[in-house]
Amino acid sequence: MKKFLRAIKDGAIKGLRTGLFLLKIMIPVYLVVVLVKYSPLMPWLEKIFTPAMRIFNLPADGVVPIITGIFTDEYGVIAAMGGFDFTTAGITTIAMISLTFHSIPVESAIAQKIGFPAVPFGLFRLVSAIFIGVLVGWLGGVIL
Amino acid sequence: MSASFETIVMEMLTGSLTTIFNLLKVLVPLMIVIQLLMVYHIIEKLASRLEGLGKLMGMSKNAMFPLLVGFVMGVSYGAGTLLELNKTNPLSKRDMALVGIFMFLCHGIIETGMLFGVAGASVWVITVGRTLIAFGVTIILARTPFIRRMDNQVPISNSPQAQEGLKELADKE
Repeated sequence: MKKFLRAIKDGAIKGLRTGLFLLKIMIPVYLVVVLVKYSPLMPWLEKIFTPAMRIFNLPADGVVPIITGIFTDEYGVIAAMGGFDFTTAGITTIAMISLTFHSIPVESAIAQKIGFPAVPFGLFRLVSAIFIGVLVGWLGGVIL
Repeated sequence: MSASFETIVMEMLTGSLTTIFNLLKVLVPLMIVIQLLMVYHIIEKLASRLEGLGKLMGMSKNAMFPLLVGFVMGVSYGAGTLLELNKTNPLSKRDMALVGIFMFLCHGIIETGMLFGVAGASVWVITVGRTLIAFGVTIILARTPFIRRMDNQVPISNSPQAQEGLKELADKE
């Protein structure tokens, strides 16, 4: 029982500490996303990525969390998604794409450290993310 | 700029703070669950139960433990376990490749499920869906010649048994 309570206490402290650490990521990401959203860059991004996002059944805004996720991590995706209004199907599709292809700089470094070649693994994840995105984007409109 | 300065500052402050608050609702229970899993060695026990699934994905039984750690808790935990394991009981090249394929497609299933669930995604799709996709892809890739041709021998120089054997031989001579 002592072991159990101790695990709960340690876990709670770790959770709070991670939350504190995430403040340092979330606030800058949110700032950049809100700035981009209202800047002249956004209509331009929308124009370029509308066709690409259409294959995932996503609005053009979907490109912002996806790109954010490639360079930051899952938490960056959440922060970036908060800046826009997406449907459940849209959020699920973005989640599936980003969860397959995210934090590429950090996770490539981890991959290399444990002996996986970074480039083939990165490409493998990119190709899988596109397939999964098309699949979920297409199914999402039907089941969600 | 198509919005006033105040709108931008307000949106940034309220948005990032609500997001952080939502994350804390996930992070604290998540870390408690992970801590409990570690303290009670639950993943180790699960790994020995799931050997059959590992076999289906072309893995030997050692591979299942690091795979499950990465799958349940996240890539950094999985990588840490692989590094630890490499010191005492290294995996073959083929096992490493298969664990990598599965783990980089689908990891941190509890964390991401809770996180994106709070953010409004369908929890079923992002947990069960991702698991099935990673499982299927690994099963298929394990049967391709590229993976099958890979060495399935544990690197001899690294394995502790080999080291000991060599030492014994040397002692006898």
